[in-house]
Amino acid sequence: MRTRVISVSAGRSSKMDGGIAPAPRPVTLDITVEDVTEEAPQPTSQTPGRELLPQVDSIDLDGGFVTPQEDSSATPSDSLMDKLNDQMMESVMISDSPNNSEEDEVAPMDSLLDGAEKEEDASGDENGQSEIGQNTTEIKFSLEEEEPGGFTEKVDKDTQGQADTRVQITACVSPGGDGQSPSDVNSVEAAAQEAKGTNPKDEAVPVCTIFSQANQPKSLVPDGFQPTLIKSPSFSMGSAGGGSGAVTPSRLTAPLVCQPSPSLSKFFNDNGQVNPASDFFDSFTVPSSFISISNPNAEIPPGPSPATIAHTPEHQLSSTSSTISTPGGPPDSGAPTPSSVFAPTESPAKVQLPPPQAAPTPSQAATHPQPFNQLRAAFSGSDDPFATALSLSEVDRRHDAWLPSEETRKVLISVATQQYSPAYVESNRPTMPGLKFDNLQGDAVKDLMLRFLGEPAAMKRQVLTANSVEQSCTGLQRLISSKNWRAAVDLTGRLLTAHGQGYGKAGQPSAHTTDSLQLWFVRLALLTKLNLFQNAELEFEPFGDLDQPDLYYEYYPTVYPGRRGSVVPFSMRLLHAELPQYMAKPQEALDRLHNLKTVCLAILENLENGLAEDGSMITVTQENRQMSQQLWRSRLNRVMYSMANCLLLMKDYVLAVETYHSIIQYEPQQRVQLLSGIGRIFLQIGDVKTAERYFLDVETACQTTGSQPAHVTCVLMNRAFVYLSQNNYGDAHASFSEVLKNDPKNPVANNNAAVCLLYLGRLKESLSQLEGLVQQDPALYLHESVLFNLTTMYELESSRSTQKKQALLEAVACREGDSFNAQCLKLV
Amino acid sequence: MRLTKPTLFTNLPVTCEDRDLPGDLFGQLMREDPSTIKGAEALMLGEMLTLPQNFGNIFLGETFSSYISVHNDSIQVVKDVLVKADLQTSSQRLNLSASNSAVAELKPESCIDDVIHHEVKEIGTHILVCAVSYTTQYGEKLYFRKFFKFQVLKPLDVKTKFYNAETDEVFLEAQIQNITTSPMFMEKVSLEPSMMYNVTELNTVASGDDGESTFGKMSYLQPMDTRQYLYCLKPKPEYAEKAGVIKGVTVIGKLDIVWKTNLGERGRLQTSQLQRMAPGYGDIRLSLEVIPDTVNLEEPFDIICRITNCSERTMDLVLEMCNTRSIHWCGVSGRQLGKLCPGAFLSLPLTLLSSVQGLQSLSGLRLTDTFLKRTYEYDDIAQVCVVCPYSSNEC
Repeated sequence: MRTRVISVSAGRSSKMDGGIAPAPRPVTLDITVEDVTEEAPQPTSQTPGRELLPQVDSIDLDGGFVTPQEDSSATPSDSLMDKLNDQMMESVMISDSPNNSEEDEVAPMDSLLDGAEKEEDASGDENGQSEIGQNTTEIKFSLEEEEPGGFTEKVDKDTQGQADTRVQITACVSPGGDGQSPSDVNSVEAAAQEAKGTNPKDEAVPVCTIFSQANQPKSLVPDGFQPTLIKSPSFSMGSAGGGSGAVTPSRLTAPLVCQPSPSLSKFFNDNGQVNPASDFFDSFTVPSSFISISNPNAEIPPGPSPATIAHTPEHQLSSTSSTISTPGGPPDSGAPTPSSVFAPTESPAKVQLPPPQAAPTPSQAATHPQPFNQLRAAFSGSDDPFATALSLSEVDRRHDAWLPSEETRKVLISVATQQYSPAYVESNRPTMPGLKFDNLQGDAVKDLMLRFLGEPAAMKRQVLTANSVEQSCTGLQRLISSKNWRAAVDLTGRLLTAHGQGYGKAGQPSAHTTDSLQLWFVRLALLTKLNLFQNAELEFEPFGDLDQPDLYYEYYPTVYPGRRGSVVPFSMRLLHAELPQYMAKPQEALDRLHNLKTVCLAILENLENGLAEDGSMITVTQENRQMSQQLWRSRLNRVMYSMANCLLLMKDYVLAVETYHSIIQYEPQQRVQLLSGIGRIFLQIGDVKTAERYFLDVETACQTTGSQPAHVTCVLMNRAFVYLSQNNYGDAHASFSEVLKNDPKNPVANNNAAVCLLYLGRLKESLSQLEGLVQQDPALYLHESVLFNLTTMYELESSRSTQKKQALLEAVACREGDSFNAQCLKLV
Repeated sequence: MRLTKPTLFTNLPVTCEDRDLPGDLFGQLMREDPSTIKGAEALMLGEMLTLPQNFGNIFLGETFSSYISVHNDSIQVVKDVLVKADLQTSSQRLNLSASNSAVAELKPESCIDDVIHHEVKEIGTHILVCAVSYTTQYGEKLYFRKFFKFQVLKPLDVKTKFYNAETDEVFLEAQIQNITTSPMFMEKVSLEPSMMYNVTELNTVASGDDGESTFGKMSYLQPMDTRQYLYCLKPKPEYAEKAGVIKGVTVIGKLDIVWKTNLGERGRLQTSQLQRMAPGYGDIRLSLEVIPDTVNLEEPFDIICRITNCSERTMDLVLEMCNTRSIHWCGVSGRQLGKLCPGAFLSLPLTLLSSVQGLQSLSGLRLTDTFLKRTYEYDDIAQVCVVCPYSSNEC
């Protein structure tokens, strides 16, 4: 373990054993001083020189001469050659580090062994190894004689002191155990969190009872409507206005399953009375405000410039075309909201259209835009809702586009052409997700406070919880931005429960909407951010490979008329692909990432060839095409980044470097960062020369782009890292300090400079620098890595580090949310 | 605290798109995180240095560095503080302290710092012994020690194999295996030959100064990976003359290996002297000085053999030539070659022809030492390719 502090406790020095004996650390091994002497002779017998030599000899000789493998007829010289060639590989002992023989010149330290060493010196190079071996044995003897004497003396002096040392050794030793899991905080964390993760599960039972207790007030379920309808306004619209023959399976089964959980209904009761569910969802879909969407309709002639609105957030709304059920509705827009108009006209259109034959894609949607293009031409110039709907659907199509597998595609076509039979769909196992564990509410910081600072202090800690924010998307965003991710996960759980996908609902059919999947994405992303990979994987499981037919819009022709593509957001696919790499299954992650990459490339190729994203023959305007290409290129890059990161985790440096390289050509503006990153990878491997070459490239790249301050920083940082790799901590520190001259607030340079100070033997300075930073600018420096460094130095500095750590805990408590990784404080 | 190199902090990028529910929230969180790379947040490897988290592994040939800090936790001033750090290995005890002079006084809350370095030269248990002696305010002399034990492991496994060429050259194949748990960058692997040999490294593809390494551009070794190095050793001319009589065990040289790991943590090892059994040639060595590689069918061709007496006595030799199925010797069989002193050699031109096409092996030479009535047989001495000069015309 870490060789810890030696503390002089002068206060109690008169009773020395009393001062030191109560070592705070658990005693794991009992190594006594006697051990030392006992062990001394043993290893010497293994002195490389001696043991090895015989081995070499025997193999060499035997292989060459004695064992005749050849037929007797062979002539001497020839058979000999063969035998020599056949000779087995022999292992060569690595005798010593090279300096060993030169040691006498270098090291004046071995006062003990002077005599022996000189002999060794005299023996010189040409003497065989055996002689050196003998020499070492001589050394051994002299040692044996000396050692026990020295130790027994001590024993005589203070046997009590010895008892101490026993304890102390054990405290600090254990390198074996620690060494075997080298520097894997992650694994440790993972393990710890695994443990935590299971806890909530156990606790989940009581939580459930809360839910079931409140089960009585079913009054909330709107009469005559199946509960599913509450889930998403768009759904209700579909069933209300649609009346088409298409019956989604979820609706059939819905009454059985999707009862809104009463606990949720409480929130609804607070909110409103009439149609709580829709209220709830408004608050969730509307953050970008419903109003804003109708405004652009009214003001901007949408025909010519759909691009202008393309990236504005309100398009989130468009996806669900949910406005019809919004009670707060459109007071400002006199005209009917786009979607309400859109929907009715849409569904007849769909019915009239003949089922498409040519297009291999789920073509119901494919054929749509054409009539709409005509419509659009007719209505162009006017602020009419159709055009808006069109531009929205452009954005939708761009973002949602995905290429399903062949099988899924067939199902989707059959849905589109209304040929499917319920039985077929049933056999086709729908995606049935559900929460696998209920609340996580733990707050590690608070737990630590309870333990170390007492209850009153702990009570002071105020963090947002799932209960203290709006039960909506806004609340969720508040929780996320205040770094209360655990609470946010809880909240997503509640919101999902409202979707009928709550705790224990896995395996039961429920409808998927844009909203529900977005919630799932947020939940799973947060779990990943919290390093709760196992939990995330568990909840991802029912989604399979995210390619079930019911995860595509085409599967819900009545709910999402005319909409096509994947309900699953791209980010969720990416998350799904990345997840296994954190759980020691990088190969699986790579497979998934390669799949994503293939689809991205296929879509880009489709766009290149003048087709729509999914390869259908829709005419796409030039602007839209460009925007689409831009979007998909950025997605491709994101996938490439993930692949490179994954390869890095796998320590496949060759491929990782290659992949980062290939990103440079797509993202030239990140050239400097990427080249520096590659350089750091080489430093990590130990290849300082190649790293320097990359850093040189960085410098030339910086020169060509002009001197941006960020680039100057980057160059200096790189230089510092090179110095560091040359064991030149002094210059490394100087370089980091130089960065601070230009950019005094740079947290990385500050932290790294402090680290260098420690390696220079300036512990106190290093500590005061870090402490100062944390006090001055807690927002920047209450970071896991900084705190970890700080606590490590506290431990080195004094055996009373716990108090200082507790002070840090207090600082953390008043700033950080429940997602703070309390392990970096090393209090437990 | 052992000062291994610091590590670079890796962050865990989770991103979303503007259109997703959290909007730009995740992106913002990542930009605010000081450990990410600004402008390329999705890059996993950050720039933040973190201190070593545990002792880790230490390997033979690496440098052991440790921070020794003596801190006065009490409220009293202590005087004459002497800190001594010794490293006890299985065979010796080394003093690692930079200074051996006592610090006059140590105030409360202050400390004595020292960073020690030691290149580890032995495998097995090492114990760092830190002894502190000091005097209290009341003039009491006190002393305490602390022990830190660690194991030094073997980082590499080296295996060698020799190939003897007909021309007295020796090829050395060395397999170096990384038996640590982390990737290793091989900075230098070279063979330092003994005084009898000159060495050529055969580990680059192209000849010249900037030949590409046979191991590709990235010269690192994953855990448990093995790499093979090849060296060609030529006896120096002054020794080559006596090549015929080089016998028994000869020292070839030793391998010098320098590697680096995380952030330039360096290690260096040398193997013991590699020894090679010179190929024994028995009493008489027969080697070829001149031989064509391609000959025409049924046309005589010449070879020159060298016959060296490797024994300790003088020989009187008789040469017999026995025809095989394809090889026909020309000239008289059973002729006297005369006396050959120990270590002497004679060159013997011979003529022969082949009656069969293809790659043919020269066999059938017999040398008989008339003193001891001992016959030495030489088969498969060399190969020649026999071609038919007219084949192309016929086709």
